[in-house]
Order: sequence, then structure tokens, then C-alpha cells
Amino acid sequence: MNIKALEPRVLYAILLPVLLLVCLFALNVGPVEIDLGKGMRDWFNELTTIESLILFDIRLPRSLLAMFIGATLGLAGAALQGLLHNPLAEPGIIGVSNGAALGAVIVFYYGMAGFAWFLLPLGGLIGALIAVSIILLLVGQSRSIISLILAGIAINSVGGALIALALNFAQSPYAMQEIVFWLLGSVANRSINELFIALPFMLVGWGMILYCGRFLNALTLGEETAKSMGFDVTRLRLVLVLGVTASVGAAVSVAGNIGFVGLVVPHLMRPFVAYEPRRLLLASGVAGAILLLVADIAVQLLSSNGEMKLGVITSLVGAPFFLFLILKSRNVLQ
Amino acid sequence: MRVKINKDFMKRFYLFFTVLMLLSAPLVAAEKPRRIVSIGLCTDQLLLILAEREQIASVSVWALDENMSYMIDAVGDLPLNNSSVEEIIKYQPDLVVASEYAAWDTAKFLRQLGYKVKQIPLAHSIADIYSLLRQFGEWTGNQQRAESVIAQMQSELTEIQQRYAGRPEKTVIVYSPNGFTIGANTLENDLFAHAGYINLAASMGIEGFKPIALETLIAADPDVLQIDRNLSRPDSLATAYVGHPVLDKLIEHREYLDIPTRLRICAGPMITEAIEKMAQRR
Repeated sequence: MNIKALEPRVLYAILLPVLLLVCLFALNVGPVEIDLGKGMRDWFNELTTIESLILFDIRLPRSLLAMFIGATLGLAGAALQGLLHNPLAEPGIIGVSNGAALGAVIVFYYGMAGFAWFLLPLGGLIGALIAVSIILLLVGQSRSIISLILAGIAINSVGGALIALALNFAQSPYAMQEIVFWLLGSVANRSINELFIALPFMLVGWGMILYCGRFLNALTLGEETAKSMGFDVTRLRLVLVLGVTASVGAAVSVAGNIGFVGLVVPHLMRPFVAYEPRRLLLASGVAGAILLLVADIAVQLLSSNGEMKLGVITSLVGAPFFLFLILKSRNVLQ
Repeated sequence: MRVKINKDFMKRFYLFFTVLMLLSAPLVAAEKPRRIVSIGLCTDQLLLILAEREQIASVSVWALDENMSYMIDAVGDLPLNNSSVEEIIKYQPDLVVASEYAAWDTAKFLRQLGYKVKQIPLAHSIADIYSLLRQFGEWTGNQQRAESVIAQMQSELTEIQQRYAGRPEKTVIVYSPNGFTIGANTLENDLFAHAGYINLAASMGIEGFKPIALETLIAADPDVLQIDRNLSRPDSLATAYVGHPVLDKLIEHREYLDIPTRLRICAGPMITEAIEKMAQRR
């Protein structure tokens, strides 16, 4: 199958309207049927009505959060795949998301989140940073898919166990049952507060990742070549890692670990951007936003009581894709 | 040697023995349990209200929970337990009281070990509370005390109903951690009915304790919102449900009811206080 690369203009002329349409559809989905037009009018006239409350205080924050988190995961997946020279790199698979969830769980359940708004995403960032550091130590510059996946399994297991441990000792009687949220992720019942908490870290993280676009292009030719082209490899790698951990840390700290988005999206977009890592970043961000928004619509349509988690949908789609990628790269494995 | 037994004497002896048995039987049955252990919040409170202090060997740690327990002041120096089997058999109780829905594994284990365990059912109405009080009075041998508590409750309820009879009915919805609401066939629903409220969750067809979507709650547009916001509780996602900013906006335009948990979580005479507080706000 040969897919022709698209001009950036054409690509975004398709992606952005799709994003807008999906977003409008998401605002229409919910347990109560409301008149969107009336909700908008009431909001502009500063009237507090049922419609305006449901639209602007419940559905819009949720949809925006799904979009921003999807964009973060797509962007981070594309960045990690470039950085580690590895097609299977993804925040969830290599354990960065679980690391972030652990950091956030410790801050959240042990009463630290109340001191300052930035402590929760900062906890996520630190957890993610520790996980990435371990990955880099274990895998280093090897392009081996097997060692990356094995390291990911190890970090994920330890992360998951430590999350359970932290929740076990938490004061709240609800803590233990909430492990499902941290391991599978959800944006249900999240509000504008969570959006504001996570947004600064996500935006800064995106900026740092996008700043490294040309460096990622050069990196495909090897580290030595990138150096000879004048890139400060050590510094740029650090910027990239910090960008990924800041954005993923913030996303996970308000919505849990939503798997496979960062894996699937870059692979879907790669043919459209002529396999160019720099162009892949932004395209993966927009496509990630669309994908997660669609997943959240599916969650709401499939379970009216809101008990289903986002990670269930993304994993059901993503895990077979992961398997397909492994089969495809079997030659490399042997 | 042959002992001559007077047949007449034997007859008399048997008669005497039988009469003694018959006389002592009700005495044995009426003997009150002396080392009662309660292993849950609601039985702790019933025990502290109905039983004599000397009868109580231990109550659960919940009896001292500020949010949950109505009888904190009555606990005094009574030993506390964590409802674990080992702790309880230490007291060699002649009666263990528990709720049907809490610590059921402990209750089952204790029964297997041969201890006498009595479990109170979940009350679905105020009428259930009366029968529960009677039953508990019987188990602990304090029937008269139970009857006087019931009479007191009934007169208080009548008084409350008369005092607030003139006020209009209002609609209400409960929202608790994890997004749960309280529907029909629950004690709280009956409390609302006695306090002159219409519980919209019950009108929607919700039965028992069920989650309700925040949108559904907003769209139902109740006059009064009752939210469980135990601010002393540590952070959790469950409590984040009741902290959603849309609820603050709704409260700005509605009335907000905050009846202390300890007045309405268990079946007991304290529910009249909850009803009074609800009726006051109508």
C-alpha cells in the first residue's frame, strides 16, 4: 500500500475541520439532550441556565481536556519514536505514563495537591522523568526493539505495583478502588479546574518538543551526523526529554494513563508527512486530539453510567495495532 | 446394703425438680447478655443508646468517628475494636452485634467459631427503625428502654410535622462522593418525605444508592441540593465529584442542604434531628 505524502496545507485543511466536527459532535453527546444553540446564547447573555451549565461547565471542559491530552500523547509518541530510533516507543509502553501516574498519585492522595496548583502536574513530571531516565540507562543508544519492550515491561510492572502500594497506604477510603482510573485513564467528570492545572505544563512541553523538530530530522542520520551538522545533541536531547515528561506528566496527572494513542497516531500519520520526523510532530498532535476525542465519544455512547474508562477503548484499538507492528518488524527481532 | 427409697419421696422429688426447671427457664432466657461486642458503626450506636453500660464489652473504632458517629460522647473509656476476629474473641462475648452489610466476613467467621452473632438488617424506612429498635431491645434484654425511645421518636416526629405543616413542599436531590445519589426505598428517601421534600431521584425511577450523571442532576433542576462535602476527608477522585465547579454555580442559584452525616447514616433516634434540620430549611 502506497500512501502519497500530502502538502502540509492539504493535510491540515483536512485534519483541522475534522477536529472541529468531532468536537461539535462531542459537545452534543451526553446523558441529557440539550439545545446547543440555546446553551451558547444563554452563555453569551451571561444567563445561568441548565443548557449553559451543561454545555460550558461539563461538556466543554471534558472535550477540551480530551483534545489536549490526545494531542500531548500523539506528540509525545512521535517525539519518543524519533528520540529512541524505535517504532514501538510510546509513553504507555515504555512506562513513562505509569511513572507519571505514580508521581501524581503520591502528590494527590497524600494531601500535597492542595498547597499549590502546579504540584500535581509537577509530581507527574518527576515520575515521568524518572521512568525516562531508567529507559535511557537501560536501552541507551541501541535500536533493539526487544530491549526497549523488556525495559518497558519492567518499568510498567514496578510503576503499577508502586501505584497500588501508594494507594494502599493512602488515607482516603476511596483510594484503592481508584487504581482503575490511574491505570486506564478517563476524562469523565473532570472540570475546568483540571484543564487549567494541566494546560501550562502541556503547552510548555509541546513548545519544547516542537522546538526539537529539526534535531529529530538530523537524528535519523545518526548522532554523529547530527553533531557534525551543528546540533548540540546533549542539550537538545534533554530539551526533548523534558518536553515529553512535562506534557505527559501533566496529562496523566489529571486523566490517568491512557495507553496506545502515542503508538498508533504517529504510525498512521507518518506516510502523510513523507516520513519526516519534524513534520510528523504537529500532525501527530492534531490526529491524537481527534483520536482521543472520538474515543471519549465512544466511551459515552457505550456506557451511559460513565463507568467505562478511556484506556479500555484506546487499548482495544491500539493493542492489536501493537501486535501488527511487532509482526511487521519480526525480521528485525530475529 | 439395700437402700430403701420411698416412692413417694421420688415422686415429690421429680415434681419439685420439674417445677424448678419450669420456673428457672424464663429466668435463664431473660438473663441479659453481659459481654456484648459491636463490630460496626450502626450497632455501636444502638448499643450505646439501648444497653446498660455494664453490658458493653467493646464497640468499634467507628463509634469515635467525628463525621459518622452520633454517640461519640457516650463512648468514654470503652475498649475499641477494628472488627477483626482476633480482637473480638479476646472479650469472650456472649453476644456480637453487627450490620448485615458491614464486616459480614467477620460475622460469618465468628458464627463458625460458635459465638452468638446477631445482625441488624438495613432500614428502608422509619417504620423499619422502630422494628429494629424493638428487635435490638429484645436481643440485649432492654425491651422497655427500646419502647420508650420509640415513643420519644414518634412524639418528636409528630411535633416536627405540626410545626412545619404550613410550608410548601420542595424538590431535592442528593449528590455524594463518586457521583452517587439516593433513590426510592431508602431510609433517606423516607426522611425527605417526612421532612416535606420530594426526592427527584426517586421520581426519576432510581432505587437505592446509584450513580447519577452530573448532567442529569443539573437538568433535573432541584430546589434544594444536598451534597456530602466532608471537607476533612483527604483528597480522592471520589470526593472530586462533589467538588465539581458546576455544583458551586448551581448552589449560587439554589439552596444547599448539608445535613451532618452522623444524623442520617444509621438507623436510630438521631434521624428525628435530621428531619428537623431538613424541615427548617424548607
